[in-house]
Amino acid sequence: MRAFGNHIFVTSLASAVLFFLYAPILVIVIFSFNDSHYTGLPFNGFTLRWYVELFHDRQILTSIWNSVYVGLGVVAISVLFGLPAAIALDRYTFPGKTAFRRIVLLPIVLPGIITGVALLSFYLTVHFRLSLHTIMLGQGTALMCITITEVFARLQQMGKSQTEAAVNLGANEWELFRHVTLPGIASSLFGAMLIAFSISFDEIAVTFLLTGRENTLPMTLWSLLRREVTPEVNAVATLVVLVSVILIVIGMYASRGKNSASYGNH
Amino acid sequence: MAQAALSLPSQTGGARPAVRSARRIERRRMLLWLVPPIAWFTVFMLVPYALLFYYSLGQAEDMVFTPGLSLRNFARVFTDEPYLGVILKSARIGLMTSVLSAIMAYPLAFCLAFHVRSASLKFVLYLLVIVPWWASYLVKAYAWKTILGTGGILNATLQGLGLTHEPVRLFLYNEFSVVLTLTYIFTPFAVLSIYAQLERVPTSLIEAARNLGASAWEIVFRIVLPISVPGVIAGGIITFSLAFGDFVAPVLVGGPDSLMISNIVINLLGVAFDWPMAAAIGLVIIALGLALISLSGWLEEKTQVRL
Repeated sequence: MRAFGNHIFVTSLASAVLFFLYAPILVIVIFSFNDSHYTGLPFNGFTLRWYVELFHDRQILTSIWNSVYVGLGVVAISVLFGLPAAIALDRYTFPGKTAFRRIVLLPIVLPGIITGVALLSFYLTVHFRLSLHTIMLGQGTALMCITITEVFARLQQMGKSQTEAAVNLGANEWELFRHVTLPGIASSLFGAMLIAFSISFDEIAVTFLLTGRENTLPMTLWSLLRREVTPEVNAVATLVVLVSVILIVIGMYASRGKNSASYGNH
Repeated sequence: MAQAALSLPSQTGGARPAVRSARRIERRRMLLWLVPPIAWFTVFMLVPYALLFYYSLGQAEDMVFTPGLSLRNFARVFTDEPYLGVILKSARIGLMTSVLSAIMAYPLAFCLAFHVRSASLKFVLYLLVIVPWWASYLVKAYAWKTILGTGGILNATLQGLGLTHEPVRLFLYNEFSVVLTLTYIFTPFAVLSIYAQLERVPTSLIEAARNLGASAWEIVFRIVLPISVPGVIAGGIITFSLAFGDFVAPVLVGGPDSLMISNIVINLLGVAFDWPMAAAIGLVIIALGLALISLSGWLEEKTQVRL
């Protein structure tokens, strides 16, 4: 029995907050089905027209593919570089370990625009042309901490005994990784990949300054939003939310563990 | 890194050869895992930050950058309009956001920690908090535009109820709507960090207090609140930092005078081509951020109740 305080009072306050968190998103979702050119009451009836229009809109379709491309690249980068970092942080002590952990978390603690400005000056100095790849590198750097924190948390739960046993039995690094480490972290790695993809899919703060001629979906949405609010925008927004909700829920289930909590809250 | 690895054999010179070679393998294996991420963060974070420093010391005229060694741009951040004023305004918005989201978040975190008994229901509720935190930032900001606008839900409802005859313009395009939108965006994050802290409250402590005749309010104010302070601070500082640097809400729901510091940086880069100034502001924000993170660490340590 942990409950104390007035149960009804506490639950109704909490439900009110949950309502506050979901009502605005639901408004967008509902109006994406509204048969009216105008976002607002009254609700004129259900239609899928805006979704049909969306799938005929070249600009939007292209940017969806661009976002998928960037997201896959971000996942690849964060696995290739974030996974080794998590393993190193778990297994070894090395000079500058604390500093390294802080640096990794910086992009998620500092406003995204800062990462953007810094990377943009880097690209200009080395004469990188802005493209989907420059976005990919930027997001990959910013989102790597997700893979690192998720996998690190799982490795800490696993403990060291299996690794030590494998090493004592003469396993080389590949065998150790393939047969001990990877099976242990697989689900949390998969979860982290889904979460990283989902965040990349609607990331805008880092992306904003690193975008070249090709736009990702959030950048297209941004330019639509600044012009005129059309019901089609509601449909795009609903799709974006749907994709992230699905991926995050699966990702959270996969990486369900004691320590897979909030990022940035070190 | 390489130096540390090379100096190792001499340090362990007295050890048996087998141990020595084992340690050397250990070192080699460590570098295998450590070098790729360190190289990545060096190239894509440390070098770019260093470049910001280099640019901030120079000058740009007619879109041409001249390197230099002058602190003039940093001085301009604190003397020229609008920079300092906008930084202070962004800080005010950030502060209001972090306080309001903590207030919004507390009941939900409290309920999640103490009033949900089954583990699976707890996980579902936890997911319900996570989902809006990671769901599209842009859509969340835009949602408030449709709610608060002159043709929005709120005005339609008010008019429908006969409370007003003309749409109320006060809801949108001002500082209030920016703070409301940012509070909305950051409340889930505040819930997560407060909840993480509330989970540490031992059941035995609450039971002991109750057995000694403490009322529910006494338990809240004398046990739960003090223990949750570090979570409130940690969440609040990150919320402050992220809200401070936001550029989406001011454009979508803010008024003509509610541009924040990130909007100024974007304008300096895209419109004025004043790179050095943008770099200087960026560095000031990084310095502020680092100071805040250290402050947060120190405060968390100070306020952490030993359990």
